[in-house]
Amino acid sequence: MINFTDITDITGLASSAVAIIALVVLLPGVARLQKTHFALLVCAIAIVVLIPFGGLPLAAYVRGWMGDLSITSLLLLLMSILRPLCGRPPFDPKGRTTLLILVALAAFGLYPMALGTSLFDPYRLGYGDPWLLGGLLLLALAACFRQLPLLALAIALSIFTWGAGWYESTNLWDYLLDPLLAIYAISALLKRASRLAVAQFDRGG
Amino acid sequence: MNRLLLAFILIAFGIGAFKASQYHTAAGFLVSAKAVASNGEARLQSRFASSRQHTQTHASSVIELKDGRIRAFWFSGSSEGAKDVEIHSAVFDPAREQWSNEQTVATREGTEQSLMRYISKLGNPVAARAADGTLWLYYVTVSMGGWAGSSITAMSSGDEGATWSPARRLITSPFLNISTLIKGAPFSYSDGTMGLPVYHEFIGKFGELLHFDRTGKIIDKQRLSAGKDHGLQPVLLTRNTNEALVLMRHTGDEHRKVISVSTSDGGQHWTEPQKSALSNPDAALSALSLPDGRMLAVLNNQEQGRDALSLVVSTDGGDNWQNVFNLEDQRGQQLDEAHYLKTATGLIKDVVATDVGEYVTSTKAAICTGNGCRFEFSYPYMIQASNGDFHLVYTWNRSFIKHVWFTQAWLDQRLKEAAPASSSAHD
Repeated sequence: MINFTDITDITGLASSAVAIIALVVLLPGVARLQKTHFALLVCAIAIVVLIPFGGLPLAAYVRGWMGDLSITSLLLLLMSILRPLCGRPPFDPKGRTTLLILVALAAFGLYPMALGTSLFDPYRLGYGDPWLLGGLLLLALAACFRQLPLLALAIALSIFTWGAGWYESTNLWDYLLDPLLAIYAISALLKRASRLAVAQFDRGG
Repeated sequence: MNRLLLAFILIAFGIGAFKASQYHTAAGFLVSAKAVASNGEARLQSRFASSRQHTQTHASSVIELKDGRIRAFWFSGSSEGAKDVEIHSAVFDPAREQWSNEQTVATREGTEQSLMRYISKLGNPVAARAADGTLWLYYVTVSMGGWAGSSITAMSSGDEGATWSPARRLITSPFLNISTLIKGAPFSYSDGTMGLPVYHEFIGKFGELLHFDRTGKIIDKQRLSAGKDHGLQPVLLTRNTNEALVLMRHTGDEHRKVISVSTSDGGQHWTEPQKSALSNPDAALSALSLPDGRMLAVLNNQEQGRDALSLVVSTDGGDNWQNVFNLEDQRGQQLDEAHYLKTATGLIKDVVATDVGEYVTSTKAAICTGNGCRFEFSYPYMIQASNGDFHLVYTWNRSFIKHVWFTQAWLDQRLKEAAPASSSAHD
């Protein structure tokens, strides 16, 4: 039996469980399962990763290593998990590439400085800095009006959950992005760029 | 769809703006009132705070309890970083001049259950007193890798450390929340909030200040040095509401001096890190401000090794330091086992009345290897109690925590006996 001492334990473990489920369902062939089988598989994985082994559930070990996933990561993972069940993306994916570009840019700015490359630490802005909040509001509104709903939703959900104290962290950056999302964003953008380059080369040839 | 999304954006940012309004920056430091009279007895006593033998102990800290007793914390286990390391505590009663038996206040397994995440080892504990009287204990936990993978865990006590709340994880870094460690004493801001000096040692090595609200949540983090400055384990000394000096252990090869930074606007801005007059062999130090403006520090005031520990004082705001007393000094000693055991026996006889042989055996196991033995007096942590007395604890040869208790009258006497003010920090 798990003894939760804080609501953020539930949200934190849930984020780890979502990451593990997504890892399994994104394996080749899994998405082609019948909807019922797919749903059963998702439920089975959720149960397995949340049952304590030796005092801790598997999700707690994953949480120990990677921390709590950002809300943007959760949003993208949940869309991947739900897509086979819905038969289509559960939310309009327009803005995904823009979102990944912004995540990659933010990661290049945030992580090196957070690891000490300068005296300035942008992570500090995550403690309620009005300029960061104002900039994100403008970005979310622009995304909404420019028909990039995924980007707008990711920002708004991150702000909402930060304001509500969803995770242990009191810093907004931890809701907006995480290092695993940054790696994924950079990889996905590089892959996309290389495909475009190959296609352009082929057309040129 | 767009209207719904727009409405959600506005609601989310409304909640976010409310949250942001709860984060505010501090208005200067709190200068605590201490007894300044030095007309009492000039006295220095020392004893071991830890009582468990045949374990390795390290990284002690102390805090004064509401009734004037002193509670110490340290980590203890088969070796530093081992899975069996626990956070231990004991209480010193000045009236009886006696330490209680040590008790366990945190284990790796218990911390795992509270934090609901895997923990591989425990490290440095530091205690703090919040404005509402709650006792907080912060300690290092690691989930993966070495000490560079550390995070800070916190728990609180409403009964002076007899019982503790479930542990909570502090999130202090965006990069997998790794590499935030503690060593220096917490301090208070004038608005009743609390500050905790911390440091980072993954890739870049630098010092920072965490700022907590009255409920123990982090509301700000401030950098004191950049990674290239190689400053660790900051210690903050408040001069007054606006002015403070921070001293940091230096861990690079470019020089062997303590690093310092200072502020004159209540911590809003800090000067660039610079070398201080104090020598430092890449080892932790402890320091505090006295009510009369003098500064007192305890450190390995040498460029190599940790085999000597000195009490030094500054009367000019930290620019120059004068040696006041050698707490330990085994510099230049032979390192063969026979000589070590003879010397250690003599030192132990000074602080324990019985069971000297067992203490010596414990110490030998912690310090001696096939290549000989090496004295280590390190990780000092000093406080001034509300009656003006000083309590210092430090790692004694990795096997015990030594407690040194001295009065203001003793300090004043030592200052008079010491050589006239010198600009040198050395003997």
